[in-house]
Amino acid sequence: MKLVIGWLYPDLMSTYGDRGNIMVLEKRCEWRGIDVVIVPIDFSTKIGELRTMDLLFGGGAQDRQQGILIDDLRKNKGPTFKVLIERGIPGLFVCGSPQLLGSYYMTGDGSKLDGLGIFDMVSKHFGNDKPRCIGNLVAEITNEKLKSTAKRNTIVGFENHGGRTYLGAGVQPFARVKRGFGNNGEDGTEGAIFKNCIATYSHGPLLPKNPHIADWLIQKALEVKYKKSISLTSLLDTEEWDAHEAMIRRLV
Amino acid sequence: METIISLVGSVLSTFLKVFRIGSGNTWPGEIALKIEPHILQKLVSRIQKGIIIVAGTNGKTTTSLMIKKILEDHGYSVLHNKSGANLLNGVVSSFFADTRTSFDYAVFEVDENALPGVLAALGKKNTTPITLILLNLFRDQLDRYGEVDVIADKWEKALRTLPQSTTLVINADDPQLSLIGRNISYPALYFGLDNELLYLPKMQHATDSIYCPICGKKLEFTGVYFSHLGDWKCTNCGFMKPTLSLTEKEIHSPLEGIYNRYNTLAATLVTKQCGISAKEIAASLKNFLPAFGRMEEVIYKGKKFKILLSKNPTGFNESIRTVLHSDQKGPLLMMLNDRIPDGTDVSWIWDVDFNQLNPFKNALIVSGDRGEDLLVCLKYSIDTYKEKVEKNLIRLDKQLDEAVDRVARSAKKDETIWILATYSAMLDVRKILTGRKIL
Repeated sequence: MKLVIGWLYPDLMSTYGDRGNIMVLEKRCEWRGIDVVIVPIDFSTKIGELRTMDLLFGGGAQDRQQGILIDDLRKNKGPTFKVLIERGIPGLFVCGSPQLLGSYYMTGDGSKLDGLGIFDMVSKHFGNDKPRCIGNLVAEITNEKLKSTAKRNTIVGFENHGGRTYLGAGVQPFARVKRGFGNNGEDGTEGAIFKNCIATYSHGPLLPKNPHIADWLIQKALEVKYKKSISLTSLLDTEEWDAHEAMIRRLV
Repeated sequence: METIISLVGSVLSTFLKVFRIGSGNTWPGEIALKIEPHILQKLVSRIQKGIIIVAGTNGKTTTSLMIKKILEDHGYSVLHNKSGANLLNGVVSSFFADTRTSFDYAVFEVDENALPGVLAALGKKNTTPITLILLNLFRDQLDRYGEVDVIADKWEKALRTLPQSTTLVINADDPQLSLIGRNISYPALYFGLDNELLYLPKMQHATDSIYCPICGKKLEFTGVYFSHLGDWKCTNCGFMKPTLSLTEKEIHSPLEGIYNRYNTLAATLVTKQCGISAKEIAASLKNFLPAFGRMEEVIYKGKKFKILLSKNPTGFNESIRTVLHSDQKGPLLMMLNDRIPDGTDVSWIWDVDFNQLNPFKNALIVSGDRGEDLLVCLKYSIDTYKEKVEKNLIRLDKQLDEAVDRVARSAKKDETIWILATYSAMLDVRKILTGRKIL
């Protein structure tokens, strides 16, 4: 079996350890004998190639970097991503991605920026007077799809965002916040799930300490690609769970 | 008024020192600023020849200590703020901590975020010429500092307010800093490397400024020294690495590591501007001793330890490279804490190229508040992780003191024990090794 993983603009959307997610997906496939190809998706990537992706990953971008790529994403690649995601291709989008994938993002000065409109959600920045949401995060997976297959029902991460996201009826929350802020610090939701895609405010390396999420993505990618139910060989994840538990012990 | 505040400041400074109260390096300044927010404007009149400010993500402490040593060896009196006291309150405190009231030069290392505030606090009436060194700008503690681009913008705005008598000394290998030099109307001098033997085989993952800061197109690098520092140009708009005022062939770094060549270049270029001869500078640097935790050597239980403060991806990568290339072999202890001085977000460890350690033969030990996270990193980066764990060549020793003791016991007589640590872990490990607390 083989998976092609598309990594969105690795030069531009790699703010803080985002690469960890790719390393984890790659190794966890390798350890199970699944071939992996990591394809960096950038300005030169053709739509035809984009259509061959089995799994997508998008990291966080700094403002200037986001400015450089946003046009390419909106005009050239966005519609194809939408088609892939609608078809069930799994993806993980961390950090500021809820702002990018949603319908729009209202900036601090009140101007409205169009998002890709793939996820039914909106994000708002209430200006710099409202404190950023920063810190370690523990959340409980609420999404039924994930809950039924994942080995554990918690996720741990780190969030750092100024904007707040509000989910619409077309998406489901990824998890419920136990410690931290999550989407908006008000309704207790964290991230969103649409089809087989996860958007989360947990930034940077989400997967290293959440191997169950990594495996869920791999499993879904294989199931969609090979059109059959897949059960992955289980791995000994002692180190990963130690790190996971250490954070839960500290925070909860 | 100034005299009274100075007196209060000095008394407080002495009091804190005598009673060994922590943060003694910043309190007096903090209180003085509360009483008189414009105190620095008055204090700088004590500096006669020049105010030298060192800013950048990595290398501030080493560079400012080099400058201080060269100037003092030449016979100048130098005021200097302590490492770790590099915010406005630390700069102000340095005047109170020193019993002298007149200095030829001041050498201040200043935190990236605090730079605009410190420059503004020098005041419009200051007539002592300012030399400002911009060493580099890497991602570091995004939870605290914000994004690299945001800092660069803030710097440029602050630099525009400085008088024409200012001299900028800029690392030409950093595209974003070179742009600042281009946009500022007063003179800029550039230092950098021009040695293709030092090129990395390929671009590292932890880069911040590889797109043209002017037109946004991807820069072309003939070669990269580390992170985004290299020989670069923009083939679209023509912006390119400025001509160097001082090159690496003209210096000899007293410390290992490519980054120390940059620090030496910056210190040499600045002190040359102060009228000190190249020969004299070289002689001064020859017996330069590193600052605590910056390639510092400590003997503990009969074993030699070398401590390398490694607090962000670029620093960590370069520390690993230094260990790998050193003649001194021995186990490597890596310590990760996530307290306020370290940054509470440790995501950055995934930008470190731990796979560089694949050929490393000695033991790899991880420790600290977030030692578990480092171990996961090694699991996904080292090809022979499993075998090395079985042979006890990779292990987690959660408690710092136990980790240090165990490695001291197990190391061979002639081995060097390398320690890579984030800020608070470095202070902790120093305390264990020297039996003294420094900050």
